[in-house]
Amino acid sequence: MFLAKVKNVVTATEKHPAYSAKTVYVVQPVKPDGSAIGDEWVAVDYVGSRIGDTVVCGGAPGVAQEVFKLQRAPIRTLIMVIVDQLDYRDI
Amino acid sequence: MKIGKVVGKVWAERKVESLRGCRLLLVQPTNSHLQAVSKIIVAADPKNTAGVGDLIVYVTSTDAIQAFDHDFVPVNASVVQLIDSID
Repeated sequence: MFLAKVKNVVTATEKHPAYSAKTVYVVQPVKPDGSAIGDEWVAVDYVGSRIGDTVVCGGAPGVAQEVFKLQRAPIRTLIMVIVDQLDYRDI
Repeated sequence: MKIGKVVGKVWAERKVESLRGCRLLLVQPTNSHLQAVSKIIVAADPKNTAGVGDLIVYVTSTDAIQAFDHDFVPVNASVVQLIDSID
């Protein structure tokens, strides 16, 4: 999984049914100090995160299908944790 | 699987139900000479194997889910070994 900041909401009326009734965000991966690193991802929210939250995202093949109990789920990246605090030492 | 050094912890109240009570560690992937490679990740530590400063082995993708005893957990990195030494 990776740390990221929730940046924007993605709204789409035309979409695969697996995405119905789900919040979809653009997330920017960040280092523990908050600075951006790497490319943005699109992620489906699973824990009620909001723009500006630092979150933990992740997902592996078939995970979303299991988590959302769907027949077909073309979804990879899930937001699964809303970070309260980070302990980080540059060791 | 990969080698990594635990460089921190994630504290979070609101998270996926199945991760409740599970430790989440910040891990810097390294090579066998302990030089940092690629980006810091977040790894689950369901067996409370490691703490900050420890050297570990972690498994990725859907196999990471196998590190958990119970039901389905949407993780893709889990700690599976606490390394004593690499000789």
